[in-house]
Amino acid sequence: MIQFLGDVLGYLLDPSNWTGARGLFSRIWEHTSISGLGVILAGLLSLPPAVLLAHRRRGEFLAVSAVNLGRALPSFGVVGVMFPITLSIAALTSPLGYWATLIALVLLAMPPMFVNAFTAVRDVDDSLIEAARGMGMSESRVLLGVEIPLGLPLIMAGVRTAAVGVVATATLGAVVGYGGLGRYIIDGFAQGNDVLIFVGGLLVALLALATEVGFGWLEKKVDPLRSRRIRPPRIPTLRDTGIRTHP
Amino acid sequence: MPNVPAIEFRQVEKIYPGSSAAAVTDLSLEVAEGETVALIGPSGCGKTTLLKMVNRLIEPTAGMIRVFGNDVRSSNPVELRRGIGYVIQQVGLLPHRTVAQNIGTVPELLGWDDRRVWARVDELFDLIQLDPELRDRYPSDLSGGQRQRVGVARALAADPPIMLMDEPFGAVDPIVRKALQQQFLEVQKRLGKTTVLVTHDIDEAITLADRVAILNLGGILEQFDPPMAILRDPANAFVMSFLGHDRGLKRLSLLPISSVKLVKGPAVSRSASIEEAREMMERWGVDWIALADGDVLHGWVPGEELDGASDLASLALRRFESWLTSDASLLDALDVVVSSRTSAAAVFDGDRYLGMLSAETIGREIVT
Ligand SMILES: Nc1ncnc2c1ncn2[C@@H]1O[C@H](COP(=O)(O)OP(=O)(O)OP(=O)(O)O)[C@@H](O)[C@H]1O
Ligand SMILES: [Mg+2]
Repeated sequence: MIQFLGDVLGYLLDPSNWTGARGLFSRIWEHTSISGLGVILAGLLSLPPAVLLAHRRRGEFLAVSAVNLGRALPSFGVVGVMFPITLSIAALTSPLGYWATLIALVLLAMPPMFVNAFTAVRDVDDSLIEAARGMGMSESRVLLGVEIPLGLPLIMAGVRTAAVGVVATATLGAVVGYGGLGRYIIDGFAQGNDVLIFVGGLLVALLALATEVGFGWLEKKVDPLRSRRIRPPRIPTLRDTGIRTHP
Repeated sequence: MPNVPAIEFRQVEKIYPGSSAAAVTDLSLEVAEGETVALIGPSGCGKTTLLKMVNRLIEPTAGMIRVFGNDVRSSNPVELRRGIGYVIQQVGLLPHRTVAQNIGTVPELLGWDDRRVWARVDELFDLIQLDPELRDRYPSDLSGGQRQRVGVARALAADPPIMLMDEPFGAVDPIVRKALQQQFLEVQKRLGKTTVLVTHDIDEAITLADRVAILNLGGILEQFDPPMAILRDPANAFVMSFLGHDRGLKRLSLLPISSVKLVKGPAVSRSASIEEAREMMERWGVDWIALADGDVLHGWVPGEELDGASDLASLALRRFESWLTSDASLLDALDVVVSSRTSAAAVFDGDRYLGMLSAETIGREIVT
């Protein structure tokens, strides 16, 4: 056991394993870049409709479906289903595995983002929205100035869940011929090299953890109600400065 | 057009979708400019619905609502609302904005520059006597009473000619409520806004409003009159039961002391003799005597201290603990009189002593 961990450490400490087109740096980049892109695309595709539908108090059905869809489709299945489809669509694009993986990741990330964003906006206290409207805020102002800021922590929680799932699932990209950290696992199995498998698994786990922690921090950061609690009460009045502060 | 009502409901009806019963039924009512009208009635009688139809948060199913003569349907709802102060039933301060930002919301929406917004916020802090240190706090840091005041300040921010207030002093304890009501009256005296105020509390309606609209379930207007007229002539059994048993006492709260005749009371001049004092006490059937000359009230002494005294001037005088100013209400007076040893209260106009108010005088007003 000690021997094995020593081998793993040895592998990680050997600079030659980090550089080059098949080195750790390049695999980590492949892994994170496709994950990041997947999350961004999923966000662009799911967040705007989610907040708009929730603002209009419509699309409850869609939200429920998204929850079920997210539960019903195991991520590996998505990759498996998507690969043949994207294969035909993207037949001319080299490396095919890239598109299959990306689309799978986007599909994987959309449901939790949609559900959280929808719930976040829908659950903002009705009386606040009524007060906002009653003061003469336009619909877009109600959404951007009240519903989204107040829903932001929950929206970000959805993004976090999605991102962690994406980082973990991007590993499967290697199965369909894309790179990423999954390569170490696949190659490890092929070569009967446990050290490689372990290195791949370890790095994926660390990456997922970093994602979790990073987004968790961001979530607190954007909470309009939390950030004010750490803020000490400010005594000097705005009258002195004529400057507006934002929480 | 001089006498256009500030708000006019004409045969307004509201039936919510999916509901068979009307929330508001064929209601017509006018609110004059500068007037405060209270809407009162049991829970669910359509008070909030009525209010929200003015700023188009709710559209009536029939009838028409005019604001300064213009059909509200002809205005853009967003612009209409910016010109009407609205205090919602749940206060509804935005929790992610500071107190100052909350108050400055409408001016900001109207595109005022920052300097003007903040100057206005300062003014409002002053007006509602809110501690300026609270400017940069958040609504969750405020007490219930402070929140409600901020809610009112927020509605007043852009100086709208019309205020709609849905139970603005609802969620606070009776003492804070009294203070807020008092403040409302003072502010209203200065600003003279046309105000429609919803309340559950008949005493609040009577104290604050120029006219009171009493509504029944289904949004049926039972009576719409000044408080005094409602207390004197309730239109029907519903109004009567709504006013409660202490209708007479409520009337007292509306009558100032100056509306009744004060009596000289058991009072003699300081230079009067002990005999004259005893005679006066006997005449009034009391065991004390007041010493007064013209509009100066020197004080009073208990009857037993007259025994053995040589003259009145040598006696130690007690101050009247129970005294009132002439603008106090008869209800205040009753309170003072009943709880005082002398069962009469001295009434002053500033330093000038006017006379005494006895329990009998007040009692006569309750009966009539
Ligand atoms: N959005 C709505 N949809 C359907 N019915 C409604 C809606 N809002 C109010 N109602 C109904 O209309 C009636 C009047 O409601 P409203 O809120 O105007 O009463 P209210 O006098 O303000 O009551 P409260 O004193 O409890 O605030 C009630 O029967 C209520 O259930
Ligand atoms: Mg109501």
